[in-house]
Amino acid sequence: MSSHSNQKVDIHDEVNYDPTVWVPKAHSHGTSDIWKKFWILSFLTIADVVAYFVWPPSISRNIFFIVMGILKAWFIVGTFMHMKHEHKKLGYMIILPMAFIIFFLYWMMYEGNFWGTI
Amino acid sequence: MSTQTISKASTWGGGNSPFNVSYGKLMMWVFLLSDAFTFSSLLIGYGAIRYSYPSTELAQIENLELGFAQNVQEKFAAPGVDAHHGEHFIPALRDLGVFNEFQWPSPDLVFNHFPFAHGLHLPLIFVSLMTLILILSSVTMVLGVEAGQRGDQKAVSKWMLLTIIGGFMFLGCQAWEWTNFISAGARMWANPYGPPAFAALFFGVTGFHGFHVFSGVVLNIIVYINNLNGTYAKRGHYEMVEKVGLYWHFVDLVWVFVFTFFYLI
Repeated sequence: MSSHSNQKVDIHDEVNYDPTVWVPKAHSHGTSDIWKKFWILSFLTIADVVAYFVWPPSISRNIFFIVMGILKAWFIVGTFMHMKHEHKKLGYMIILPMAFIIFFLYWMMYEGNFWGTI
Repeated sequence: MSTQTISKASTWGGGNSPFNVSYGKLMMWVFLLSDAFTFSSLLIGYGAIRYSYPSTELAQIENLELGFAQNVQEKFAAPGVDAHHGEHFIPALRDLGVFNEFQWPSPDLVFNHFPFAHGLHLPLIFVSLMTLILILSSVTMVLGVEAGQRGDQKAVSKWMLLTIIGGFMFLGCQAWEWTNFISAGARMWANPYGPPAFAALFFGVTGFHGFHVFSGVVLNIIVYINNLNGTYAKRGHYEMVEKVGLYWHFVDLVWVFVFTFFYLI
């Protein structure tokens, strides 16, 4: 950042920390991991469609689709959204509330079976 | 950059960032978590209403003997009727009782259209293409973020432009999908394929997602123009690309689950 010597505040200054401008220094992790995850996500999507046609509808098939969705979410959040390179506690802050949501989702799909039609 | 160690009251005592993340990025994550709750409530509602109806039985679908890429308009047109005009598939399946108000329609019988392949039975192919477009635009976005981390202004422009094009392609696909569904007679309150709740949820959830995609494209365009003007080069970091990128990946993430719930389950 030496080329920007006309800046008034150091955006990376840890000593005189100013939350309105402070950003951690950015590091590139290369592009090979990104492309690897692209191929995995494409493969999982195609596997979903194949499973749809070869596997008759059942609760286990639905669980399979949800698990595949969570697996895709894992790669998107981890690599694309950079979560695996962030502070671990930030990850927990986001992922733990979603764990309850997944439980709720399955619960309400089960509950719906006993409702009258809407 | 100073290398001296400084004493702080504690990790959470102020004067530092406990998560080692900027204010803006932390707030983007908090927003995305709250937005994830919103979408979850829609999908939870979908799951409950979907299973308050019985599923279409497998035997009903197998009895139709639909071949992949078979022309279903010709197959179900009454004898002597021009199969190339009007809709023949939906009325025939309503007569056969496959589509009725009391059971949830099978998604592969509803979403079996593909552009320029009128009347052909191509179940879930178009929506798979949409999913791949969105995943690919997520990849170009993350490549733009990576270019920003290296401070490569030209590469950021290139990848942002490709991401914007990907976003418009997805929106175009969704417009086509909606046009198809609406021209078949689906409304917020009516659905020729079965229960009206199916159409209401489809329009509600894909509409809510589509508006997120549209907002994401607008944000991407703003970042693209800012980058062309050298805003981020002057600022000394490209974190705005990363923050908007987080939103864009989130939109992709939501689509993964919309795809799972509306088209697979």
